[in-house]
Amino acid sequence: MSVADAAQSAAGTAMSPALRCAGITKAFQGVHAVNGAEFDVPEGQITALIGPNGAGKTTVVNILSGAMKSDHGRMYLGETETTGWPSYKIARHGLLRTFQLSRELGGLTVLENLLTAAPNQAGDSLVNVLLRPGVIRRQERENAERALQLLEVYGLYRHRDTPARELSGGQKKLLEIARAVMGSPKVLLLDEPMAGVNPALIDVLGGYILALKAAGVTVLMVEHNLNVVERICDYVIVLAEGRTLATGRLSELRQNTEVVKAYLGEVMDVSAAN
Amino acid sequence: MTYYIFTLVFFLFDYFILAMGLNIQYGITGLLNFAYIGFVAIGAYVTGVASLPANVAGQHYILGLGLPFPLNTLMGGLAAMALAVLVALITLRRLRTDYLAIVLISLSLVLYDFCNNYVSLFNGADGLYNVPAPFAKTLGLGVNGFIIFFACLTGVVALIMWFVMHRILRAPLGRSLRAIRDDHVASAALGKDTFRMQLKSMMIGSFFAGIGGGLLIQFGGSFNPTAWLPGETFVVFAVLIVGGAGNNIGMFVGALLVETLLVHLPAFLPEIPGHPGLIEYIDLALVGIVLMLMLWFRPQGIVPERLRRTASFGAPERPDEDAGRLDQTAAIAAAVGAEADHDPGSGR
Repeated sequence: MSVADAAQSAAGTAMSPALRCAGITKAFQGVHAVNGAEFDVPEGQITALIGPNGAGKTTVVNILSGAMKSDHGRMYLGETETTGWPSYKIARHGLLRTFQLSRELGGLTVLENLLTAAPNQAGDSLVNVLLRPGVIRRQERENAERALQLLEVYGLYRHRDTPARELSGGQKKLLEIARAVMGSPKVLLLDEPMAGVNPALIDVLGGYILALKAAGVTVLMVEHNLNVVERICDYVIVLAEGRTLATGRLSELRQNTEVVKAYLGEVMDVSAAN
Repeated sequence: MTYYIFTLVFFLFDYFILAMGLNIQYGITGLLNFAYIGFVAIGAYVTGVASLPANVAGQHYILGLGLPFPLNTLMGGLAAMALAVLVALITLRRLRTDYLAIVLISLSLVLYDFCNNYVSLFNGADGLYNVPAPFAKTLGLGVNGFIIFFACLTGVVALIMWFVMHRILRAPLGRSLRAIRDDHVASAALGKDTFRMQLKSMMIGSFFAGIGGGLLIQFGGSFNPTAWLPGETFVVFAVLIVGGAGNNIGMFVGALLVETLLVHLPAFLPEIPGHPGLIEYIDLALVGIVLMLMLWFRPQGIVPERLRRTASFGAPERPDEDAGRLDQTAAIAAAVGAEADHDPGSGR
C-alpha cells in the first residue's frame, strides 16, 4: 500500500492530498536531519507528525513552510509544486505555520500582530499608500473587524492593545494560532502547539484545532502528547531518523511493533508515569 | 543675530528630514545603516551638479545641468535612492544586523575615498562650491534675506516630508516594516517578502537623506568631503536615539536637542582663548556623553514609539470582554473564508 493509498483509507474518502512531500532530504554539516521523508497530508483532516527527538520533525516543518530549503526531494501544496519557494510565497499560497517557540512581533500590539497576517494588503505598496488612502482605510477597517472577532474567539480580545511581548507564554501560543488563522490558511502547520502549556489550556487548544478542521482547514501538527493525538488527530505520520517509518491511524500504529519500539513504547511509558 | 538664529532653524529642519529618513531604516525596519551620511552626500553632490552650469572655471564635475529648485533637489533625492537600490542588492539578501552594519560602514568608506579622489566626478577633495542659491536672484535677497528665506523653505519641505512619512508609517507598509524589525522569520511566514520590504525602506529613507543633503549644499553653497566624514552618521543616530527611535515627533525633538542645541549652537560661542577649534571637539564629546546617558537611562528616547489603539482602525469595538459567545467554527470559517482572495500576485 502506497503512502497515498494509506492516506485515502485513513481519510475514508478519495481526496487528493493537501500537502505532499517526496524524498525530502536535509543534511546539516553531513548529519542527515531528514533523510528521504515521504508522506501525504490528507485534505481537511488533522494529521499528527510524531517521532522521537531528533527524528527531523521540526526540520520537515521548516522545509514545508519554506523557512529552510531541502537538499533533495520535492514538495507540493495541493496541485502546485512548491519545492525551493521562499516562505512568503508559500504563505501567500495558503500554507501558514506556527513556531515551536512563539515568535510574536513583540513591538506590535496583539491586534497589529493579526493585521500583519491579513492577506493581500493594498497598503503594503508604496504607490497605494501615497495615492489610494481611501482603499487602504476601508481594507484596514475590514481586516480589523475580522481580527477583533478572532481575538474574541481565542480569548485575547481584552489584550488587543497590549504589545505582544508582554503576553504570557500561553497567550503567545494562542496569538500564534490566531495570527496564522488571520492569514486565511488552507493548510496550517502547528509546531508543537501544546509544548509548555498547562493541562487546562491543552484542552482549550485542542478545541480550537478541532474548530479549524470544522472550518475546512487542513492541519498538520508536530505533537508529542499522544493523548492529544488520540483525541483530535485523524491520521498519524511517524518519522524516525529522518525517514517516514509508518503512516495511518494511531490505533493501527499501536499494532506496529516497529513504531512501538521506535517511539510509542517510550512515550507510552512516560505518559503512564504522569 | 538673525543669521545665527535662522542658521539654527535651517539645521533643525534639515536634520529633522535626515532623522526621519534614518528612522524608517533603523527605528522602524531595524536596518543599521552606518553608511547613512554617504546617502546624504550623494544627494548633496548630485543636487550640486544638477544646479551648477555646465562649465565653471576651476571645478571638475559631471552633468552641470543648471536646473532650478526643486528639480535639482529632487534629482539629489532620486540619486540617493538609486544608490540605495544598489547597496541593498549587494547587502540585504545575505546580511542582517551587525554584519549589515559592518559592510555598510565599509561601503561608506569606499564611497568616501572614491568621491575624495576621483576628481572629475564631484571635484574631489575641494568639493563643489559656488552652488547657486535658489531664488536669491529672482527675489533680490541679500545674505541674511536668503538665510531666512531658505530656512523657511526647508521648513515647508520638512512639513511635506513629515506628512508623507507619517502616512507611510501609519499604513500597513509601516506595520510590515516594524514586523520585519521584530522578527523577520515570522514576518516571512506570514507572507511578507522581507527583502522587498527592506529594499523599500532603504529607498524611502535614502530619498529623505538625499533631499536633506540637497538642501544642505544649497544652504551653504558648497559641499566637500570634510562635511561628511563617516562619523557624521552617528550624529544622525544620536538625533534618533535621543528623540526616540520609531517616532517622527521624536525625530523633531532629537533634531532640536542634538543637532541644534548641542552641535550647532556652541559653534557660535566665542573661541576659548589659546585653543582654537576646541569647542568643536568638546561638542562632539558632549554628543557622545548624551548618547551614552540616553542609552543607559532612557533607551526608548524622549518621545518613544507609540502603539496604535484599536479605535484608530475604525472597526467597532466588540461589546463584551472575551464573552465566548461566538460560534468558534463560524468565526474561524469567516476568517479563513477570505481564502477566495488568495492571489499570490497582488498587494503584499
